[in-house]
This record gives sequence, C-alpha cells and structure tokens, in this order.
Amino acid sequence: MTRILSSDKLDNCVARWRKAGNKVFGPVKKETTSSYAAVESAAEFDLGLILPDRSVKELFFPQTEPMMRYSIKKQAIDTEDFQPPIEKRIIFGVRPCDASGLAIDDPLFGWDYKDDFWFKRRNNSVIITIACTKSDDFCMCTSLKLAPDSTKGADVMLRPLQNGKGWQVEELTDRGREAVKEIADLLQDSAEPTAPNAMVPEKFNLDACVAWLRNPENFESSFWKEISMRCIGCGSCTFLCPTCHCFDFQDEGDTYNGIRRKNWDSCSFALFTMHTSGHNPRSTQSARWRQRIMHKFNYFPGKFNVNSCSGCGRCSRQCPVDMGITETLQAISTLQP
Amino acid sequence: MSTQETYKTKVKELLSSGKVKMVIGYKAGTTADRRRPHFMRTPEEVDQLVLDSACITNLSGYLLSEGLLSDGKEIAVFLKPDGIRSINILAAEAQLQSNQVVVLGFDINGSEISALQGERASDFQALTSSSNEARLHKQQHPESARLEQMTPAERFAYWEDAFSRCIKCYACRQACPMCYCRRCIVDNNQPQWVNTSSHTLGNFEWNIVRAFHLAGRCVECGNCGRACPVNIPLGLLNMKMTDEVLQSFNHYPGVSETQEPVLASFKKNDSETFIL
Amino acid sequence: MSEPFEPKIVAFVCTYCTYAGADLAGTSRLKYAPNVRIIRLPCTGRISPMFILKALQKGADGVLVSGCHPGDCHFNHGNYHARRRWTVFRSLLEFTGIPQDRVKFSWISAAEGSKFAELINSVTEDFRKLGPFDQYKKLIKETETAATF
Repeated sequence: MTRILSSDKLDNCVARWRKAGNKVFGPVKKETTSSYAAVESAAEFDLGLILPDRSVKELFFPQTEPMMRYSIKKQAIDTEDFQPPIEKRIIFGVRPCDASGLAIDDPLFGWDYKDDFWFKRRNNSVIITIACTKSDDFCMCTSLKLAPDSTKGADVMLRPLQNGKGWQVEELTDRGREAVKEIADLLQDSAEPTAPNAMVPEKFNLDACVAWLRNPENFESSFWKEISMRCIGCGSCTFLCPTCHCFDFQDEGDTYNGIRRKNWDSCSFALFTMHTSGHNPRSTQSARWRQRIMHKFNYFPGKFNVNSCSGCGRCSRQCPVDMGITETLQAISTLQP
Repeated sequence: MSTQETYKTKVKELLSSGKVKMVIGYKAGTTADRRRPHFMRTPEEVDQLVLDSACITNLSGYLLSEGLLSDGKEIAVFLKPDGIRSINILAAEAQLQSNQVVVLGFDINGSEISALQGERASDFQALTSSSNEARLHKQQHPESARLEQMTPAERFAYWEDAFSRCIKCYACRQACPMCYCRRCIVDNNQPQWVNTSSHTLGNFEWNIVRAFHLAGRCVECGNCGRACPVNIPLGLLNMKMTDEVLQSFNHYPGVSETQEPVLASFKKNDSETFIL
Repeated sequence: MSEPFEPKIVAFVCTYCTYAGADLAGTSRLKYAPNVRIIRLPCTGRISPMFILKALQKGADGVLVSGCHPGDCHFNHGNYHARRRWTVFRSLLEFTGIPQDRVKFSWISAAEGSKFAELINSVTEDFRKLGPFDQYKKLIKETETAATF
C-alpha cells in the first residue's frame, strides 16, 4: 500500500496550497506556446504535455531581472537593490529533466558568490516532479545517465498510476514533506500499480563522448566545423536549455540614472566574446558551438563533477536548422578518442 | 525520374565538373517531417540529398556565411521562388554577385514538387513577375484581417501579449536571409538604441525595428516565424510591410536584381496625405 | 480639481527649415505651447524611426517630426527619402497598436514661423485630448519594478 494523490483532488490541493500562502505554478499550454506558469486552479494545468516549450529555469533565473537602481549625483552615487520575490511557491508537474537542470545549476550559482536571486527563489520553492510516461524523438535523459523518473532536483516525486487517475506520492526533502503535509488528508492509500516509465532509448555513449572531448588534440578537430556548418548563431538552444546559465549585465538608462539588469546571454552569439578592440577570440560559429559542447560535457563537469545537460532535448526540438546536442554527441561517440 | 533524382544527377555533375565548389540543399532531419540544410562538396555527399515538399527553409542566407563567396567561385543552392527573390535582393543590395550563384529552382504544390528551369536568378524573371501579380491579388491573411478590425488599444494588447513571450534569442534575425548586417543595430551600444533586455518594452522595440528594417525587402519566406521558439506571429508584421510597399509604392521585393530598394529610392510625387 | 493633462511632446526637426521656422517664431515673439522639446537634426533624412521609438520609450506622449517642404531640402532629397520611410513606419506603428495620432509629421519652412507656432498649439491640443499613452507607459513602468516571480 502506498499513498496516492488522485487527479480529481488536484484542484483541492492547488486551492489548499494557495490558501496557505503559496503561489502555485505548473505546465500551462497557451495557444502558441507552453511554459511553467502561475495558476489559480488545477484546470489550467496541461499535464499531458511531454514537456513545456520553455524550461522551468525561467522561474528561478528570469530572462531579464532588475538588480540595482543607480543615480549618480555630484558628490555621491546612490544605489538601491532590487530583491527577488520572497513568496513561497509550489511548482507542480515539473518534468524530471527540468528539475535535474535546477540541481545541476545549484553549485554554479553558489560556488564562490552565492547568487541571492537564484537561491532565495530556490529556498522558497517546492519542486513537485511527475515521472514521464511519454517521450518524443528528442528526449535523451537516459543518454545523460538520468531517467524518466529521476528524482534529482525534486522535493516530491509523483509517479503516474496505471489507471491514469492519479499519482503515487513520495516526499524527498523537508520542503517536500512540508508541502505534502498541507494536503495530507487529501491523499489516500491504494495498491494501484504505477504506469511504466517512458521508453527513452540511449542515443549516444556519454563516456565515449567525454573521453573524446577531454583529448586536447580534438579541440582543433575539423569535426567542429563540419558539425556546426548549418548553425545560424541564434540563442534559442541556450535560452530554452534548463541548465544554460550565462548572463550579461546591462545598465539601462542615461548617464546619471538607470537600472542595472541581469539578462540571459548566449555563447552562440558572436557578441558574447567580442572584445572592445574588435578582436573576437571565438570568431567563428564553429568555435562557439564547440564552446557550448565543451562547457557542458568537459569544463562544467571538470569543476562541478556533473554534466551541464539533463537531456530534455529542447535544443534539438526547437532548433531552426535541426541541430542540437544529440546529433553532435551521436557523431562524437563514433569518433576515435 | 523524380525531380529529386534528376537533381541528384545534376548536382553530381556540377560538383564533379568543378563548375561549383559547393551545393547547398536539404537532407533528412531528426524526425520524418524535418529537413535540415545539407552542404555538399563531393559527389558522394549528394546521396543524402532530399528534395520534397518538406524542404521549406529558404537557404539563401547561407551564401553570406563569412568568406564563402570571397574566392569568386560559384555555389549552387536549392531555392523556391521566394529564395530566388532573396538572391535578387541580395544582389541589388550588393551583398553578392548573382553570377556566382547557380540556382537549383523548385516549387512546392501541395505534396508535389516540380523543378524550375533556369540557372541564374535573372532567368526567373517571368516567375517573379507572375508572383508579383499573384501577391497583388492575394487574399489578406485572416489573422491580419482580424487585427485590422481591432481598435489600436486592442491591437496593442495583442502584440503586448505576443512580444511579452519574446526571449530575444534573435532566431528571427539569424534565420532571415535579409538580416545580414555584420553588426545588427540591437548589438550597437554607443548609443544603445534598442534595449537588449527582453522585457516587453524592449521586445516591442526590437520587433518593430526588425520588421521596419525588412520593409520592402522581405520575400515572405517564413523563416523568421518558423525559427521563433515561442511562436510569435512575426510573419504578420512582415506581411503588413509588404502590403504597405505594394500599395504605396507599387514595389514587390525581389522581382529582379536591377530593382531599386524601395526605401533607398523615392519619387517626387509619392503620396503624402498624412503630412501636416 | 485635478490639473489638466499636459502632454510631453518631442519634436525632431531639421536644422535648415523647421528649426529656422521655430527660430523665426521666437524672434517674432509668437507664443506657442511650452509642451514641446525640440531636437535639432541636420535633415529629416537623418531622423531614424528609432528616434521616434526612443522618444516614446522615454515617456513622450506624442512625437512631431518636421522638415523642409518637398523640393526645399538642403541636401536636395533627404526629405523625399524620409517621406517614404514615414509612410511605411506609420503603417507599422498602427499595425502594432501604437496609434498614428501619437506621431505627427509636417513640413515647415524657415519662413513659416507662424505655421510653426500654430502647429505646435494644435498638436499640443490633439495630444492633450488623447491623454497619456497609458498602454506604453505601463510597459515602461514594468521595466522599473522588481521581478514578479
């Protein structure tokens, strides 16, 4: 016997959480695009999505965030900090790849300077993950040694029941236990079996890829030029990625008054590494694509011992020219290290 | 022989005879309905070539990849009528010389494709002219018509919602054959004309500036709208611009390479009813 | 009772005609509404549509663009080029919901000091009637407040 949350109680849960002062988020499909968005009732959720177009990253690391207001006076410079919102949040129905993405980025935002904008949100949010029973051609979590039911980054794990009428509930962290406690009386005991996980075939051999990437001789390999020839240099892969975390500071305003903002930035842009002199150390798109792959599977794990990819497949799914990490790593895994 | 097979033979000839140094076409993509750009430099690479009704991307932008045309050698590229018009505009704007481009023309009719006869963009003059005629009588897109019925405040709300989704990934710009500037206006920061932040205000500016810079130059290939990861209906803006230059200046972009760019030319008797 | 709404108007003018016209209005001691901030540029051909957007972004309620009459351009045809751009840009603004009434265009020569004064008065009145551009100002306000999630 395990505890289950039945689908028809979900709306009560949302109401309960909201009443307890939480803002509730979840996968929402609008006419044109889907994302994790704030909801007032469970009816707004679309839990049938394989995964939303946009990753959960943006709820922790928004595409643009004001950090500081400044005003330069004759004798002094006045500044005023912006704070991230401190409300409690329940994020329901996060896919395991998206939740893993948050856990992957935690060490990055905290290794020397602790980024308040990230951690205040992380500490106030409960991630309720639902294991995947469906996948598409682009899903690749298994290739990254994750799974459709990975608990990484999750506070609560829900496993869909075979009959499709609810989820088996498993609390994983204190924050998760707290959130489940608020709805404890809405859960029931049941012996209903859970549905099988989505079948996500392994698409490449990660270890072979990493070995090839770590060989310094391959840095200048002609492979990079070949594989990235059709890359048009937009930022859609990086911006939709649940782990890409690069940002840029921009002062918006005039000479004396303005707001300093933290904006998403992308290593695919030529401007990303452009020097004031006009020299660009990553002057070609192939060098930029190489950086993205090297960073995810060589530099980032070198520092934090984890690959900066959770296998959601958004980079390939949304690429205007049908590129992506999958194709690149598939090609690399066939090369001699 | 199917159009695809005929073209395979032709492309192999082009490459093995050394007439062109590269052929830009399509090959199979990740899923059955996707095609991806394919760059062929040897006859062996031609085996992967796919040409069917799913080959909708306008490939002409790749011709302007840095250094590609600078050796003066020829390149062949698969183009639909809209892509051929792009070549005319790029030539008119001195971005390439049309005698360096071998056009492998094709058109899509439903699920069928047909070959278009001609080698240089200028060989398709009859086609571009008839497409001009067709555009004049084309029925307005239902969504455009719906928008034009709205009050300005309702339209503003419509675009506010659409632009609030923009993440400034610039996929629209990068996918567009006409957005070839080495340094885009939005990447200029002395002064910063367009906010780089992707708040709705900055997104409004960016999308208006993008559409304006394409006025009279857009061939309505749809690359921008398809590239947009958040599905902003960018094509509507571009269509509006094409409507406007057609109505006000009788200009249909890309008819020929001798056509004057509409916003870099003028007539003394251009209409000015709105000027006080 | 609340104060009547006073619109902020930015006028982009060419230095050879409209600016000289404004100068003439001044030296002729003509009185006109003080709502207008004049920005002088070499030619209407130099007035990029981005200037207009920037003015709105900085909180203008209305924009006026003015230069030499056709045929009078100091650079021969800068204003003809500008006219084409305006035609297209107005239609784009209208399509994106920025009302055409917010952005006005005129030809004012160096001799038309009185036309300048009258025009400023009349567009000020028009913009006053339109009221503040609330929809756009809401977006500006959003950029000045902390993230909401």
